[in-house]
Parts: sequence; structure tokens; C-alpha cells
Amino acid sequence: MRVPYSWLKDYVDVELPVAELAHRLTMAGLEVDRVDYGWPGIVTAQILWQERIKGSDHLWATRVTTGTEELSVVCGAPNIQVRDKVPLARVGAKVGEITIGEKRAMGVLSQGMLCSPRELGLSDDHAGILILPPDTPLGVPLGAVIGEPVIDLDIKAHRGDLFCMVGVAREVAAFTGKTLRPPTIAVKEKGTAAAKLMKLEVRDAELCPRYTARVIRNVTVGPSPQWMADRLIAAGMRPINNVVDITNYVMLELGQPLHAFDYDKVADHTIVVRRAAPGETLTTLDGVTRHLTAEMLLITDPAGPNVIAGIFGGARVEVSETTTSVLLEAAHFKPTNIRRTSVTLGLRTESSGRFEKGPDVELTALAVDRAAQLLAELADGGVAPGRVDFYPHPVTQRALTFEPGQVPWLTGMTVTRNEVIDSLSALGFGVGDAVPGGADETLRVTVPTWRGDVEESADLVEEVARIAGYERIPSTIPTGPLPQPSRDPWFRREDRIREVLAGAGLTETVSYTLTSRAAMASLLPGVGGRDELLLAAPAPGMRADDAGETGDTASVAVSGRAAERRAIAALAERLPAIALVNPLSSELGVLRLTLMSGLLDIVRENAKHSDAGLWFFELGRRYLPTAELATGTGLADERHTLAIAMSGPLVQSWAAPDRDADFSGLKGVVETLLGALKVAGYRFTPTRHPTFHPGRAALLEVAIAHGGELTSEGGGGEIVESAWAPVAVLGEVHPDVAERFDLTKRTYLMEMDLERLYLAVPETVRQMPIARYPAAQRDLAVVVPQDVPAAEVEAAIHASGAPLVRGVRLFDVYTGAGIPEGRKSLAYAITYQSPERTLTDAEVERTQAAIVATLRERFGAEPRG
Amino acid sequence: MTTAQTQEEQALAALRERAVAELAAVTTGDGLEEWRTRYLGRERGELTGILKGLGKLAPDQRKAVGQAANAVKADLDRLLEERRQALRAAERAAALERERLDVTLPGRVIPRGHVHPLSQTIRDIVRVMGEMGFQLYDGPEVETDYYNFQALNIPPDHPARDMQDTFWIAPGQILLRTQTSPMQIHVMEHMRPPVRAIVIGKVYRNEAIDASHEAIFHQVEGLLIDETCTMADLRGVVERFAREMFGAERKVRFRPSYFPFTEPSAEFDIDCINCNGAGCRVCKYSGWLEMGGSGMVDPRVLRGVGYDPSVYRGFAFGLGIERIAMLRYGIDEIRAFSTNDLRFLRQFT
Repeated sequence: MRVPYSWLKDYVDVELPVAELAHRLTMAGLEVDRVDYGWPGIVTAQILWQERIKGSDHLWATRVTTGTEELSVVCGAPNIQVRDKVPLARVGAKVGEITIGEKRAMGVLSQGMLCSPRELGLSDDHAGILILPPDTPLGVPLGAVIGEPVIDLDIKAHRGDLFCMVGVAREVAAFTGKTLRPPTIAVKEKGTAAAKLMKLEVRDAELCPRYTARVIRNVTVGPSPQWMADRLIAAGMRPINNVVDITNYVMLELGQPLHAFDYDKVADHTIVVRRAAPGETLTTLDGVTRHLTAEMLLITDPAGPNVIAGIFGGARVEVSETTTSVLLEAAHFKPTNIRRTSVTLGLRTESSGRFEKGPDVELTALAVDRAAQLLAELADGGVAPGRVDFYPHPVTQRALTFEPGQVPWLTGMTVTRNEVIDSLSALGFGVGDAVPGGADETLRVTVPTWRGDVEESADLVEEVARIAGYERIPSTIPTGPLPQPSRDPWFRREDRIREVLAGAGLTETVSYTLTSRAAMASLLPGVGGRDELLLAAPAPGMRADDAGETGDTASVAVSGRAAERRAIAALAERLPAIALVNPLSSELGVLRLTLMSGLLDIVRENAKHSDAGLWFFELGRRYLPTAELATGTGLADERHTLAIAMSGPLVQSWAAPDRDADFSGLKGVVETLLGALKVAGYRFTPTRHPTFHPGRAALLEVAIAHGGELTSEGGGGEIVESAWAPVAVLGEVHPDVAERFDLTKRTYLMEMDLERLYLAVPETVRQMPIARYPAAQRDLAVVVPQDVPAAEVEAAIHASGAPLVRGVRLFDVYTGAGIPEGRKSLAYAITYQSPERTLTDAEVERTQAAIVATLRERFGAEPRG
Repeated sequence: MTTAQTQEEQALAALRERAVAELAAVTTGDGLEEWRTRYLGRERGELTGILKGLGKLAPDQRKAVGQAANAVKADLDRLLEERRQALRAAERAAALERERLDVTLPGRVIPRGHVHPLSQTIRDIVRVMGEMGFQLYDGPEVETDYYNFQALNIPPDHPARDMQDTFWIAPGQILLRTQTSPMQIHVMEHMRPPVRAIVIGKVYRNEAIDASHEAIFHQVEGLLIDETCTMADLRGVVERFAREMFGAERKVRFRPSYFPFTEPSAEFDIDCINCNGAGCRVCKYSGWLEMGGSGMVDPRVLRGVGYDPSVYRGFAFGLGIERIAMLRYGIDEIRAFSTNDLRFLRQFT
């Protein structure tokens, strides 16, 4: 709210410089957004030097100072002299319609403009520059010297009483110790009583608890006096005519919105306050036809609706130049209803903003009287005797018992009982002893009707504390007991993941959790049916063979870009993403189901200015819909998720060859992470997933002991001893997907459901004794068919060599010379060890022979070399 | 010893002279071995020959010549060893010289990634608050109207709803949380006092995005409930927090404000970290930077979760994490955090 300082001074004797007052207001909880001095960008300056510009008959080159800075300004006025103090419009300031820029005139630099009274809108004088008094300080806003400062307050939602000058003045009086001086209201009445001139019928006392009216006859409609117009403008309102201006003036002064009707146009001189009929419409003054509902309150007459109560009026009964009699309304409407109507219609007005905050219901009489008084004084009106007032249930003031000790109890601040009494009294509270005679400290506080926000002790504590000043609150450290330790280590784990992945060369991203369905659908080329379920890391119960045979059909890719876009759009429609009903844009319309599309966007954008490796990870949530969310009985399934994207060479060095990201690089990062988190049992199996290259995608599963949340497949939901839980998919991005994301390099991608991973992360680590007997190592190279997975060979070595095989390390994979077509050589270093004794060569050889026999039988393996 | 050397003694001296001269010319290990064989060899060494021939001499000569020959042998053995050491040192030196590197070439750096500046800020917040006994809680971003508004004393159609433009999933029912404050309710429902909790996470506002406003950003919320705390403790905790995050000399200012779920309410500012309060562009010449909101938990909120406000007191505070990071790292564009430009991210450790 804009408060012109001079207007405020009508109601309280405050002499503080405006900057000091602004500070005091802020520290009392009336936050000052800024002090508007008028003439933004225009400051006081002094002429240091001036010289006629060669070749010009009227231009002067001047040098001016703002006290801290010297500037060159070209000026055409004849009246300035060295040492004169003048208004300087700096570069960027607006003077009239012109924005001042830095320029050259006749080759001389000009960094601003010196202003004439006409340019400042002060008068028509354009003969020369405005010369300021010699004692003017330099470098201050011009408005602070000759203008009218306006304090712009950010009034909080609970203080409807501060949306007016008197309300702000009351606060200023309270914290400066001055006396509030509200306007003197005296109405001279004459002629027929208002009650005989009009009828009032309020049909909904719940939505309209009070309606007060007056009738003023023989008014002369015309422009307002200059002082009133100036005040309205300074407060941010546009003067219209004296009648309308008076209603606005009283609203700004007292906080009560008023409405003025042309009395003669009100049908039957009868005001009817009622809810709108279904389908009823009203064309408001802005020319828009409003469709109303039975939830909305109207001010009507027998001829139809006139005003959407408390919000906006129509043209039929508005005051115009031909108006001679005025019916003034000051009413009180149910705040929540005003707000709902205003939100529904998208209509926010000065009036609705005040009504929805619940102004003082007692104000209506005061406000119509004040307006009637001004109409008599400024529009020659004759005020009909009496008010017409519908007020069936007058409010009673709330009374609270208040223990002054509550102030230190809540704030830690020491105050005396007298300070409590003084500050509350200054704010308009009635304060007395709760027990007659003041036998104990307790106070009885009556809350003024304009302070509906004050309902209990804590509210009074705040009033006392802010008038005393929050700077009096001491600073201490809490000494109470600590809570029970909290057991959820998710942050520690996430931070560990960050540390490990950053250590492995990956950079963390934080991207928008809102995206579009189309962006996510781009991850799924040529799929149909239920495949959208595969988007993002495995849904519960998913298995590798669930992934279907669709990933390589790629039917879309051949049919061109337009067809592809249609296909994506069709697929996108089916994605089960949680949608916003009021998104900022369609690009940010749904919550993400996956982090993968966002990461690919990041890779693409960074590739535009980097040929280095783009290795990223993100820790964040996926937002999966639930049946409970759909029925309003529960929330979304928000899954903590890790995603990784890797593309290009991480290392670019003269000392080592560049090595682009590849599948084993990605898998190695994932294995490093699993190791760091002490996940013991995991396996990678080939999988099909539409986002990935069909031959280069794996499913990661972890072993979860005690069943965890998992049930055995198809086993009727019984808990099993341990189970493989799918936690991640990883692989090379399918070339069709890469094309859609404009990826120029092969990119490797992983998404992991951390909540499932954590089921396999042990709480603690227990050390194992170091083996006491020596280990023996033997190498074994076998030639197997190309399509035998290495993991199966390794598992077979472990199984057939049990219990002596302690470790198996693959150290070479070879195809080429010496190996038959369609086969590959796998070379392992096998460690044999017993916890009980030193192994003999014979034992080791025997075991290794058994391993070879098994591999031959199972895979047709032949030992090599 | 007689004055005149015997013939044998002369021969020994000559042999010694010749051997020493030849040894000086030896430059290889093989040459050294050859030399040793020639003079000291067990079979045919010249000196060995002389020693072997001692028996043929007269007994009076035998002793003198024997002593002289042994002295020469000791001498040659010593010189041989010295020469061997010298040659080995020279060879080692030459070998090392051949291995000389250009130490100004760049090292083989182990590539390191970067933790996002928001994560680093969050990590510090968790540590600082953890030191004061505050435990981290995590909660839903998709929230109900009840937790995000009503339980926080913001009923439907309350003007305070204007303070936060809301993204709705089901209008009036399900929304994206506009603040981390709904977690105050979840935490208090989940446990009995004492409570010391912090919540960190994403919040959503349906507001136009510009250099200083994001529709999605991060907040930290602190909550303490016990039987003894006051606003003075709130001030102490916030001051400690501000000084840990922004420097030990920071001044913190509290001023009255309004939040529906705290009473009394306060906003807190710190003196400008750029100008130390003198006034500059960063603080819009006010000397102060707005940091966040706080207050004593409103008794209506406490009653709502079944805490007796005549027994329990509590305070809560909240602030934006992007704002903290922007001030700490001198970032003037909030969108930098969500753009994920590697040129930005790699500036952080």
C-alpha cells in the first residue's frame, strides 16, 4: 500500500525523516518495500564548470558532481552558473516520455540531463534549469528534497486494518509514543430522512452481515479539488469525479470500501442484497459480461443486478455527470466468499482486496458519515438525515485474559507489566486488571473490532514484542533435551553416492522435476502396449524377460520426422505421468517418471560447447502415480533415484590414449558404487529395453535377504528367504533414441531405484579374519562359443571348484588368430585357498581339472594353450 | 731391508706400475674382469705367479719378497674394488641420465567430477544443524492441501494463500508443496517432543521464472519443540547458522512479520556479505539481505497435532537454499543451478 508521508501526518505528529520512519515501520513489522520519492533516477548535483561548445550558439558543456561522481552533461539552458545546485536526470531516468541515454552533442559527451521545472512537471516554466537552494545535499533523490515521499508498504494478509492511512498512523503513533488523531467526522443533515427515501432488503445475512447506506441529494458532480486528486494519485489511484473520488479517498483513509449509486437510477430506490440466480449475468464497467453463480453475492435493485458485491460494479446505476442524488453504500461481506468470487472471476480490485481481509465491521457507519461529510463539503450535497443500517448481529469485542509473563515465556525478552499495558493500549486494545484491584499480574485485554487477527495470548505477545522491538530478544542456544536418534540414513547414503561418483569423474546435475510427456516418450522408440511401464528403472516385479521383444522393431524410425512426432505424441498420451492442472507451460506439465530424458538433454546441451567427456549423474525423485492418488486417498510414489549418463572420453591426456565412454566403463562405475556401498550380492543379465541398444543393455539385480519387500515370482505372495530384486537398467542408448535427442556420440545411460538398492545395503560392516594359510594361483584359459555369457562361465568355475576356489578374475578376452570363428577365449586367474590347511599341488590340480571338465560339459569349452 | 732392491722386488714394482696404469684405462665390467684375471687370477695371474714362485727363493729373500708381493696384491685388490665402484656409479649415472623426463609435462590426472553447488550447500547445512542436534527428515513433494495449508493454519479461501502460487494436481486437494513447512506437521505427528528436525527439499511455486525466481527451488526448514525453548533460542540458532554459512562476523537482524503458522513471527536478515552493511547493489543499498522466515510455532498448529501449547513451545524457520548458494558463491542468476552447464558446474569441487 502506498502511503504519502504528508497524508499520514494528518493523523499523527511524526517528524522523523522519511528514511528513519521507513526503518522504524519495517522494524515494527510493516515492511517497507521502498520509499518512492518521485522522479526516479533524478538526483541533486552541483555545477563544477561550464563552457560554451564551439560551433553552437546555445549549448553548454558542463561538468557536474553528485558528491561522489563527476559527469559531463550538455545543457542548453542559459540560467546556470558554477556552484548552482540542480536536478540531474541520470542515464536510464525517465523525464516525461524520454528515457535519458548517454549521447554526444556536437562531439561532446553527455551523461545525463539537467531538468527544468516543466520537465519535472512542477510548472510550465521552461525558461531555464530548476535551481535548488544552496543548502541542498548532493547526490540525494530529488524527491527527497522537494518532493512528496510515498512509503510503499507490503501489508501482510492478516492485517486488513493496515490498508488505510489511519491504520498505519495508529501503528506509527504506537511505536513513536505520539497520539493518534483520527479525522473529525461531523455530518450536517437536512431534509427528508434517508429511511423514507430508500428501502434496503438484505436476503443473505451470512454473506452480508452489515449494510449501511446514506442518501445525499443535490450534489454537483465535477472534478475533485486538486489536493484530493494529488493524494489519490500519490496513493496510486486515478481521480474520476468528486463523488467517486470521495468514496476512494474514504477507503484509503479509513479502510472501508464504499460504493456510490446514482440514487435516481436505482429502481424503486430499493437495494436488494442477494445471491445471484443461476445463469444470471452482469456486464461490469470494463465491458465484460460476467457469468455468475449462486455462490456469488450481488447488490441489486428490482430491475436487476448492479454490483458484484464488494468487487466490481455495472454501468446502469453508476454515478455520472448528470447524477444529482447519491446513494452511498458501506457494507461488510463475508471475506472468504469475496475471495472465492474474486478468484473465480479473476477480478481483483482495491475493494475486493480489502474485503477479503475482513475489515472492521464497525467501520461502515463511520465511513458513510465521513463520505457524506465530504460530499456536503466538496460537492454541495445535502445529506438526508440518518443512516439506513442492516446490522442484525452487532459484534462484541473479544476479551482475553493475558498473563504478561507470556511475553518472556515465548520470546525470552524481559518486559515490565507497564510496558505491556502501554503498548497494547497504544494499539487500541482495552487493558485492565483481570482481578479487580490488580491482585495479580493477569490482565484483561479487550480486542478492538479491527483486530480480528488477535485471538489468543500468542497474538498479544507478538504485539507487545514488536512494539518493544525484536532487537530486545536475547540470543541463546537451546538447552532442552535432544530427541531420539533418527534412523533413516538416506542422506548419508546419498552423500556417499555423490562422493563415489564425483571421485569416479562424474559431475552432479540438478534438473527440473517437471517435464513434458513428449520428452519422456522420446526415450521409447517404436513401442506399443505396456512398454511404457518399462520407462525408468524397473517397476516392482519386473523381470528381464518381461522387457518384451519390441525394442528392435523400430517401426517408427522409417516413417519420417512428422510421423515420428505423431507416434511420440500418441505414446506420450499413454504415459502415466502425474499432471498439473495449471502448469507454467506444456514443457513443464507433468512430474517426471524418469531422470533419463533430462540427463540426455543435459548431455546434448553441453556437447554444444565441449568435446570433452560428458559424464553426469543426478540424484532425485521419480514420481509414480498410485491408485490412492487417483482416488484422493493417498499420495504419489516418490522414488529416490540415481541416473548416470556418460559420453565421450573422460581423460584427454598426452600420457594416455583417449578412451570414449563405453559399456564396460559404465558398468565399472556402477560396480564401483556397489562396492562402496558394500552391496555383496548382485548380478547383471542381458535385457531388452526400448531405450537401449538391444545387444548392449543389462538389468542389475541385487540379492535381498529376508525377502525384504519382495515376494517370489508367481508364488502367491509368500515371503522368501532371499530374492533377486531388479534395481537398475543400464546400457548404450539406442541409436533411434540418440537421434531424437540429437546426441552425436554414443552415450551410456543408467537409472537405478535407490530405495530398492538400499534394501541390499548392509547397516554395518563386520570384518572377516585374514586367511591364515597361503593361497595358490592358477591361470586357466578356455575357448567357448561367442554367445556364452562370461558371468555364467565364472559362476560355473565357482560352483565346480567349491569350496577351494576363493577368487576368480577374468584377465583377458580374446578373439582372432588362433581362435575358431564364432568362439572366444576367456582367461581367468583362479585363486585357491583353504581356511583350514595349506593346499597341496595335487589338490589344486585336481580341482582345476574338475573345473575344466565342467566347463567342457556345460559350454563345450576347450582349455587353451 | 738392504739398500739395493733385489731383482724380484724390482719386478714387483714394475708389475704394480703396469697394473695400475692398465686399470685406469679399463672402462667396462668385462675389461675389469680381464684385468683381474691377468694380474690376480688364481691360475695364471702375474702376481699370483710371483707368489707361487716364492718357494724358489732363498729363505732370507722369501720373507721380504713375500711381504712386498702381498702388499702389492692388497693394493691391487683395493684399487680394483675402487675402480669397480667408480665404473658402477658412472654406469648408473649414465642410465639415469638416459631416463631423464620433462617434468614440466602435465601429470596423468585422475579425473574427478564435481558435486553440484546446491548439494554442497545442503551438505554444509546438514552438518551445521546436525551439530546443534537437528536431524534430517524427508517427505513428499506431492502433498495434500491439508498438510501444505490447512494444518499450517491457512484455511481454504484465506488471503495468505496469495503468498504462494500453487501448482495443483487435483484442485483444492493435491498439490506440489509450496514450502517445506508441511513436513513440520508430518514430523510432529510422527514423534513426541523433544523435536529437533530439519527438512531439505524441493518446493514449487507457480511463478514466472526470471533471474531471481525459479518455479522449482530448494528450501531448508528447521523445527524445534520442547518445554523450554524461546524466541531467544530461535535467534541463537539462526545466528549460529548464519555465521557458519556466511562467516563468523555476520550480524543477524530479526523483524516482525507474518506467517500463518508462527506467532510471534519474524523475518531474519543478515548484514550484506558484499559490503558488510555499508550499502551496495547486492543489498539494494539497505545494508541488509533478507534471508528467511521464522517464528514460534503457532498454538493452533500445536493443538492440531495434539501438542499442548501450554506445555510445549517450539520454533521454526525456513529459507531458500539457492539464495544461500548464490550469496556464498557470488552467483547472480538463479537459473544457473538448473541449467547444468558443465562450465558452471566444474567450478565447484
